Amino acid sequence: MLSDLLIRLRAIFRRTQVETELDDELRFHFDQHVAKLIHSGVSRREALRRARLEFGGEDHIKEECREARGVHFIETLVQDVRYGLRTLRKAPGFTAVAIITLALGIGANTAIFSYVNAWVIKPLPYPQVDRLMVFLAHDSKKGWSYRGISSDADFFDYQSQNTTFESLVPYSSEDFNLTGDGTPDRIPGGLVGWNFFQELGAKPLLGRTFLPNENDPAKSHLVILSRGLWESRFAADPRVIGRAVTIQGESYTIVGVMPERFLYPLMGIANMWVPLPITDKMRHDRENSSFQVFGRMKPGVTQSQAAADLAAIGARLETLYPLTNAHQTVLPSSMLHEIGENEGSQQVMISFVIVGLVLLIACANVANLMLARTSRRVREFALRGTLGATRPRLFRQLLTESALLFFAGGLAGALVGVWGAHWIESQIPDRIRGYIVNYGRASLDLTTFAYTFGLALLCGLFFGLAPAFTNSGLDLNRGLKESSSQMGSTRAATRLRSGLVTAEIALAVVVLICSVLLVQDFTRLIHRELGFQPRNVLVTELVLPDTKYQTAAQLSAFHDQVMARLSAIPELAAAASTEYLPFGDSNRTDLIHIVGRPPAEPGDELGAERSSVSPNYFQAMQIPLIQGRSFTSSDGPDSQKVVLINETLLHQQFPRGDAVGQQLEIGEDRQVCAIVGVVHDLRTSNFYGRPRRQIYLAESQFPSAHLAIIARASAASSPDVSNPIGAVGVAAAVRSAVWSVDPDQPILPVRSFEDLIAESNSGMRVLSQLLGFFGLLALLLGSIGIYGVIAYSVQQRIHEIGLRMALGASSAQVIRMILGRGLKLAAIGVAAGIILAAVLTRAMASILTTVKSNDPATFIAVPVFFTVVAIAACYLPARRGARTDPMRALKYE
Amino acid sequence: MPSSQSIDLPQGTLDLLILRTLALGPEHGWAISERIHQVSSSVLQIQQGSLYPALHRLERRGWIKARWGTSENNRRAKFYELTKAGLKQLETEKSEWKKLITAVTQVLETT
Repeated sequence: MLSDLLIRLRAIFRRTQVETELDDELRFHFDQHVAKLIHSGVSRREALRRARLEFGGEDHIKEECREARGVHFIETLVQDVRYGLRTLRKAPGFTAVAIITLALGIGANTAIFSYVNAWVIKPLPYPQVDRLMVFLAHDSKKGWSYRGISSDADFFDYQSQNTTFESLVPYSSEDFNLTGDGTPDRIPGGLVGWNFFQELGAKPLLGRTFLPNENDPAKSHLVILSRGLWESRFAADPRVIGRAVTIQGESYTIVGVMPERFLYPLMGIANMWVPLPITDKMRHDRENSSFQVFGRMKPGVTQSQAAADLAAIGARLETLYPLTNAHQTVLPSSMLHEIGENEGSQQVMISFVIVGLVLLIACANVANLMLARTSRRVREFALRGTLGATRPRLFRQLLTESALLFFAGGLAGALVGVWGAHWIESQIPDRIRGYIVNYGRASLDLTTFAYTFGLALLCGLFFGLAPAFTNSGLDLNRGLKESSSQMGSTRAATRLRSGLVTAEIALAVVVLICSVLLVQDFTRLIHRELGFQPRNVLVTELVLPDTKYQTAAQLSAFHDQVMARLSAIPELAAAASTEYLPFGDSNRTDLIHIVGRPPAEPGDELGAERSSVSPNYFQAMQIPLIQGRSFTSSDGPDSQKVVLINETLLHQQFPRGDAVGQQLEIGEDRQVCAIVGVVHDLRTSNFYGRPRRQIYLAESQFPSAHLAIIARASAASSPDVSNPIGAVGVAAAVRSAVWSVDPDQPILPVRSFEDLIAESNSGMRVLSQLLGFFGLLALLLGSIGIYGVIAYSVQQRIHEIGLRMALGASSAQVIRMILGRGLKLAAIGVAAGIILAAVLTRAMASILTTVKSNDPATFIAVPVFFTVVAIAACYLPARRGARTDPMRALKYE
Repeated sequence: MPSSQSIDLPQGTLDLLILRTLALGPEHGWAISERIHQVSSSVLQIQQGSLYPALHRLERRGWIKARWGTSENNRRAKFYELTKAGLKQLETEKSEWKKLITAVTQVLETT
């Protein structure tokens, strides 16, 4: 073992000496042999001749000796790398095309993988995250479930009766008005059970987290800040702990600051946390639920055991409280799963598969390039072979060259990947960032880069093998004898090239079909009718604190004054308000009952999205009135309560269209309102599904603390609010209108309605942009691939083409012959692609809304289009072939 | 010169022959091939192309070691000699070879 190592080391570090010794040793043998021959009576000249003949290639012997000494591993690697770099430098065109192709393929993979890594692979930063379960309230009759719990009071029963959980944590998102110290702000945050931070394993940066008795309403006036808020509003003052701040008009004490990394995606962005006050009312309320729940299972408990435990409690509650708890149970769902569902890991995984296919296409392209190139180098290999390079040596040389190429591609790909990941990150709107693990940042960490280079080297070795196999096996004599134009046209190499390009086309068709489906779906979705006109509209939301605005009169006064100020802004064509903004942060559904109809069975009650709006809301939003009248100023607090319904509600409940004049009971307190009109349906939260039932109440009759302002800029003064200067001016005017009424009132940033709507489908948009790009890339690479193969085969057959033309073939016939070959390859590839796509697109069915995953138009159009592109790609070399001068082609060597 | 009666060496026997030759004392490459040629009554002719790689391989395995010395005609030559491990290896290979020969002979002569 030691001698082995010493010899290897000596071979590497004392190379010249070892080489000289080898020379001397062989020289001695040669001389001895010559001497022996002379001794036997041969002339000196003859002896030298015979000895040389017998000795054969001295280099060959040396090479084998070197190999026997084990010099090879490192020394030849260094040699191969050096030689490889030189050959790559000598062919800059080939090298550039190959590296760019690989950089795009590997870069796209790196970018997507960084998200797979951040969202799917890397577990959440919580201790023993597999024991964390999120509660889903489940209605076994209706069959739906949502994140939450059946009711507030039920929570306490689950908490005290379960045997499988160590602890349960209630929490809910809540925005807070923060006033005093500077401008009033509306801060997104959460109301949390005292053990929230503890169960998520979060330690405060400063101060402490909450204590067990601090969910008591008398002791809950405490707040923990996020690091961001602490820095922006409190100048990162370390003495902030113990300070009092005004939240919702009441005084709270700051007890802690959380580090930047702390995030709970199921709550969204939260910049402050306050203990959830647990009131006596909550302990007895089996109708409403005001928070969500997660729990930590005891060690060793499985999810199904926990499910059985919760189901048993649910069943007991059902018998105890049949009126409220019929069909109501709670299911545990793994937190990892819930968070994964939330931030589109499915979309990420689909992109990941597609981008993997793109990489395969890129690799096949580069492998084809290398094949074509190495077969042009047959003479070089043959020469080196004759000079003593062994076959494994040549093989290794080729492999090293391709590994080098792929490594360079990996390096460039890493850069492309970093850029790509940043691009994706920039496409995620801030508003939804908080719902995403790691705030939607990609994780460009060691794992990602290890993946990138691992991928590059793996592809290099795998796709590098193809040229290496077909070439180092070549017959050396043939290589030396044959003309360069015919070289490397072994049947195996040709078949390999055709196979690669066929596979490439098949994959490109798959990628193109997938991307066309998605882009089509997205385009159709965002062009679905909204029911209102968001163009030139600025919006903002505010919540009036109930400490300051306690009565309906106070709320109405605020509404009226703000509206009066807004209507005085000259740049505004219209200003209106609504309780809940379409595509806004919140909405509200109330139970409704049509007066005169039999009461609904429990669980079958009608619900409708409700909003109380200002009289000019429909006009400002440009929502068409279908029947009856809109609100007027005569609909006051003391007159008959009135309601408008939407078309969906009309069609579902009043098939004869006789809604106007009938009455609705609305909400828990069963307010009776007369239906006075019907308006067009609105999309209120996304582009999927059908519009829901909607009702509108008059703001003057149902004033609310939740308020959204809609300001439509007049076309004359500010033709485009997306113009930042115009928009900023109008936005500032809107803010100061609010603050001139109440200087302590926080409002959310005033922003363009169109941007707000665009954000709601940003996930789909990013995905369709990415897939659109991947589709184009696949198309491009696929066409380059088939172009390369056909161009190469034309060059190879130039002799034959010349001969045919000399024998009378017309150029049209030659073109047809070459196109025929291209078409054959394309047809096989496209057919295989269609079959593959039919299987793969099924996995996409769940994210497609307006397009079927087997959409016939796409499955016909894409292959036809691809075939046309392929033929076009073949036409260029075909025409070049047809222009061949027969005489020159026949002479061409 | 390869004689007309020379035969190809079966796989793996070259190492055995070299070890056996070196068991008689240190020799350089040329002498090793000459000796094998003579002792085998000119039946076995070792080509340089296989001799030297084999010597370097055996050296790497630690069965023989090399040192530079002076040849009979006063030239600098590389002499190889058997190591202890080489001697052991020779015994193993010898007995294996004999076993093989016996077995092959048995098969061939069974009627």
